[in-house]
Order: sequence, then structure tokens, then C-alpha cells
Amino acid sequence: MREEPRESSRGEGVRGGSARNDGAGALLSLEAIEKWYGEVHALRGVTLEVYPREIVGLIGDNGAGKSTLIKIISGVVPRSSGAIRWKGRKVRVGSVREARRLGIETVHQDRAVVGSMSVARNIFLGREPTRWMGPFRVLDRARMAQEAERLVKYLNLNISSVDQDVRFCSGGEMQGVAISRAMHFKASLVILDEPTTALAVSGVQTVLDFITRLKRDGIACLFVTHNLHDVYAVADRFIVMARGSVAAVVERKDCTVEDLARLQVTRKAGA
Amino acid sequence: MTGAHRSLAQSAQLFIVRNLIWAILVVVFLAFSVTLPNFFTLENVHLILYVASALGMLVFAESLVLVSGNMDLSIAHIAGLSSMFVGALSIQWFHLPGWSAAILMIVVGAMLGSVNGFFVGWVRINPFLVTLSTFLMYNWLTYAINRGAILAVSPALVFLGGGKIFGIFSAIFVLILVCFLLGFILTRTPFGGYVHAIGGNPEASFMLGISLPWMNFWVFTIAGALAGLCGLLFVGYLDSIPSTIAGGDDIFLAFAGAIIGGISLKGGEGTMSGALGGVLLLGIIDTGTAMTLINPAVRGFLDGLILLLAILINKYRLELRDRILLPRGSAAQAAL
Repeated sequence: MREEPRESSRGEGVRGGSARNDGAGALLSLEAIEKWYGEVHALRGVTLEVYPREIVGLIGDNGAGKSTLIKIISGVVPRSSGAIRWKGRKVRVGSVREARRLGIETVHQDRAVVGSMSVARNIFLGREPTRWMGPFRVLDRARMAQEAERLVKYLNLNISSVDQDVRFCSGGEMQGVAISRAMHFKASLVILDEPTTALAVSGVQTVLDFITRLKRDGIACLFVTHNLHDVYAVADRFIVMARGSVAAVVERKDCTVEDLARLQVTRKAGA
Repeated sequence: MTGAHRSLAQSAQLFIVRNLIWAILVVVFLAFSVTLPNFFTLENVHLILYVASALGMLVFAESLVLVSGNMDLSIAHIAGLSSMFVGALSIQWFHLPGWSAAILMIVVGAMLGSVNGFFVGWVRINPFLVTLSTFLMYNWLTYAINRGAILAVSPALVFLGGGKIFGIFSAIFVLILVCFLLGFILTRTPFGGYVHAIGGNPEASFMLGISLPWMNFWVFTIAGALAGLCGLLFVGYLDSIPSTIAGGDDIFLAFAGAIIGGISLKGGEGTMSGALGGVLLLGIIDTGTAMTLINPAVRGFLDGLILLLAILINKYRLELRDRILLPRGSAAQAAL
């Protein structure tokens, strides 16, 4: 290693990379997050920050606690203890809706879309624009189609029609549909859970392009994966998790893919 | 990028594939009209629609539940119990006006359905097991209330199921109105979209912030209300409330009608107009075979055979539809 990466052990407050170890100006900060599943101690005092407009790679082997952590951030499961700050303010994040209201959008691996519904409906699912038709609140289908078309064009998705069912899309395009939600609803942070794992090579590049585009639009990303090569191509910073806590935080410029791989293995072994 | 590029022939094919149930319905209807001298009369069509309307409520209820990715074995007995309970309440125990009893039947149906919804939605028990239990309970509760029949039914209570408006059975208006209303809810409102979504991919729906417990609760509650309405129509048909009012084949016919109408057992797929087509097809075949004086046992057998045929047709119908819908040169097409 060219330089010993900065590390954070739990509770000590050494987080982030070089100039950013005070947590000020962070978009999202987690403070000593604990999670118990019955007898299982899944998260042990996780403390980390995500800053605006940065792409953070959250890496670690299976069972390191990555997916539990993102479930907590996206409001899917409650934390046992610890605090979440959003733009400096303490927040609860008790439900998916609450997380979305804050501006946290999550793209879950291959289960983010409803195959039997159209591209347009999928983008707006759960937050449809409506209009009044007499006493009824009905879907504003024209607006959905129009907006969906704009997004599909913007992301350069290879979709012939926004009325097409999502099940006819390729894996990369499905991720694109999920990512376009974040664009439309002006999310500040997008959590991508293994977005490239189930994809063919061409699909991986498509998704990586989406991610850099999100960054260009000023959206921060938390890219969760165990595929180091995919994440290394786009991330600014890496957070390595092992056995339920943050094992290391490394800036991209301070490490190589090999360093990351070594970190992931050694931290797991408890070195 | 925008708009599907389909030829006119493909569009026509797609239209037929999507509305296949109505094409079959017309063919079967014409076949009976040609072979039976008294079949193609206004009176007969009127009767077919009338007889189909009560079963139609059950088919709509089952269709809604199936689209949401669930199933409901208890709806026929919800119809029976709500009519028997409200009948006993309003006629034997207290003397309530007929119109209030009519409304109460729908409310009680909704409450009985909400029991299913509570256990499926909040306690998260498999809908088959929940509704199997309530199926048994509701069935025997009906007999516990009354082993015989309530005969002194007030005119207000029988109006919807037995009365006429401008010479047309009011039940037919109910059938069309409910079909339209449910179709509207399913295709035009966010709620209807969520019914499809939780049936198509419950996990994604949950991740997108749709409440599965509440959605399941309301789906079963609405199905219960429709079953209560079915009970009310049955009371009008029979002009009395026997303890055997709903039961027997009704629950199977509710499933059959929905599946013949193209509702998928897997959830997330199906339309209310399809369900209407399904129940009407059952009605046409039932009436047609009744007029040929076939042994009733053979007619029952035919219902089963038609269901099997419908399942086969739907299987190929959906494959055909996907073939037409597939965008050219897409990854999914290459995989086919």
C-alpha cells in the first residue's frame, strides 16, 4: 500500500477521508448504529458519512452487514439504537415513505420493478401524479407518460415505448427504470444495492453510466456491492465493512483495487 | 424512441388476443342460437344476464383478490352468512326496515371479509389457510343461526335481486355498475395500481413504500362487501333466506369465472371486463345446456371441462400476447 488508509473503529469518530473527518457538511451521517436480529448482532456501532455529490462504495464480504445497513437507511427495517442525521438534522427514517420524503431513493437488486406493469407506471409507483375527475382522484396518465418519456430519453434507455411492460426490458434497462425514479423525484442520495451483480457485461457499463450521470446531476450515491472492479470505476471513496462494523474508510486516490481486495479480506479475518 | 411500432395486423391480433373471452363468448352464443330455436330471444338474453349477476359479484370479488396475488375460499359463505345474519337480525330478532337491512348485508359482508384481510395483511398468514378457516366457520355459523329458511322477507330487501327497473331486472344494473366501478378503480386510481403491483411483485411494492398489510386488508374487505352484495341479490332471487342460500358450487364457479375471464392465479394480471366475460360465458353455457335437456350432472361436468379448456386457451393466449408485445431486437426476445 502506498499509504496506510485512514480507518475508523467504532465510536472513535475518525471517519471520511483526508479533509473530511469532522462530519460537518455531510449529507447523511450515521452515528453508532446498532442492529440486533434477536440474538444476532448484525451491526456493531456503525458510524459513517456520505457527503453531497460523492459516490461512496460500500464494500465488504457477505454477512458484513451491508444489506442490513442500507435497509436501515432506506427505512425498510428499524435500527436498534444509534442516530441518523440528514443534512445535519436528526431524523427518524421509520418507513420507506419517510426516507423517500427526505430524498433517499433506494434501487434494490433485481426486485425494484413490477414486471407486469408499464415502464411509466413503474417509475411513478407509490408516488403517482393524480388529478381530480369529479369526486375521484385518478392517475394522471398523460403526465406520467410524458415525464417517463423525458426520463427515458435523458438516461438514453433502450426502451421502445414507456407503455411497454417492464418484464420485456433487459436487466440494465430495469435498473435504469429504477434509477430514473431518483432523477424524477430529485433525490439527494441514491442507494444502489448490488446494481450490477445480476447483469451482463454491457448492462454493467450502462448502469455505471447512469451512476456517473447521477453524480453530474448533483446526486450522491451509496454504491453497495462486493464487485470491487465495478465500484472502483466510479466511486470517490470506499467504506469497507466487516463483521457488522466499519473496518476502513479509503479515498479512491489513495488505493488500488488490489488494496481494496486486501482490506476486505484482512479486515474480515480480524487483522 | 417513443411509441410502439406495430403493424395494423399486429394491432388487430393484439386486440383479439386481449379480448379473446368476448370472441369466444360471441361464438358460443351464436352456436347455441343456431342449434336451439328458442335461444336467441331478448327474453333469454335478459335471463342469462339476470342469473349471471349474483354469481358475477362473487367472480368480481375473487378476481380482485386474485389480481392482488391472494385467493379467497370464503366469499360464497360470506354471501350466505351475511344474508342469513342480517335476515335473522332484521326480521326475527328485531324489526328493521328492509332498506337498512339491505345496506347492513353489504356492511356485514365487508366486516366478514375484513377478518380475512386482518389475518392475511397484518398477521401475515397464507391466504389459503386463512380463508379455508373462515370458509368453515362462516358456513357453519350460517346453519347455527338458522337451520331452515326465513320466509317473511320485506319487499325492500328483495328489490335489488328480484325487482325490475323499466322492465329490466335491477340486478343487471348492479352487475354492470359494479363491473364499471371496479374496472375504474383498478385501471384509473393509485389504489388499483397498487392492487396490481402487490400481486405482480410484493417485494418491490413494499420497497417502494406501498403498505402490504393495508392493501391486503382493503382487498379482502372489498371482496367481502361484494360477497355481501351477492347475498343481497340471492335473497331477491329466492324471495327468502334459506340456510343453503350460498354454498355448494358457488365458490368454485367464482374461481372458474375469474380464470375463464383471464385472471391469472399468479397475481398482477387480469381485468374486470374479462371477469364479466367469464361469468357471462358460464351463464350462456349453463342456459344453453339447460335448454337441451341434458342431464344436470352432465352440465356440471361441462363446467369443469370448460374451465380446463379456458386454462389451456389462456396459457397460449398469454404466450401469443407476449410474442406480439415483445420489442424487436430486445434482449428478452433473443432469449425466447
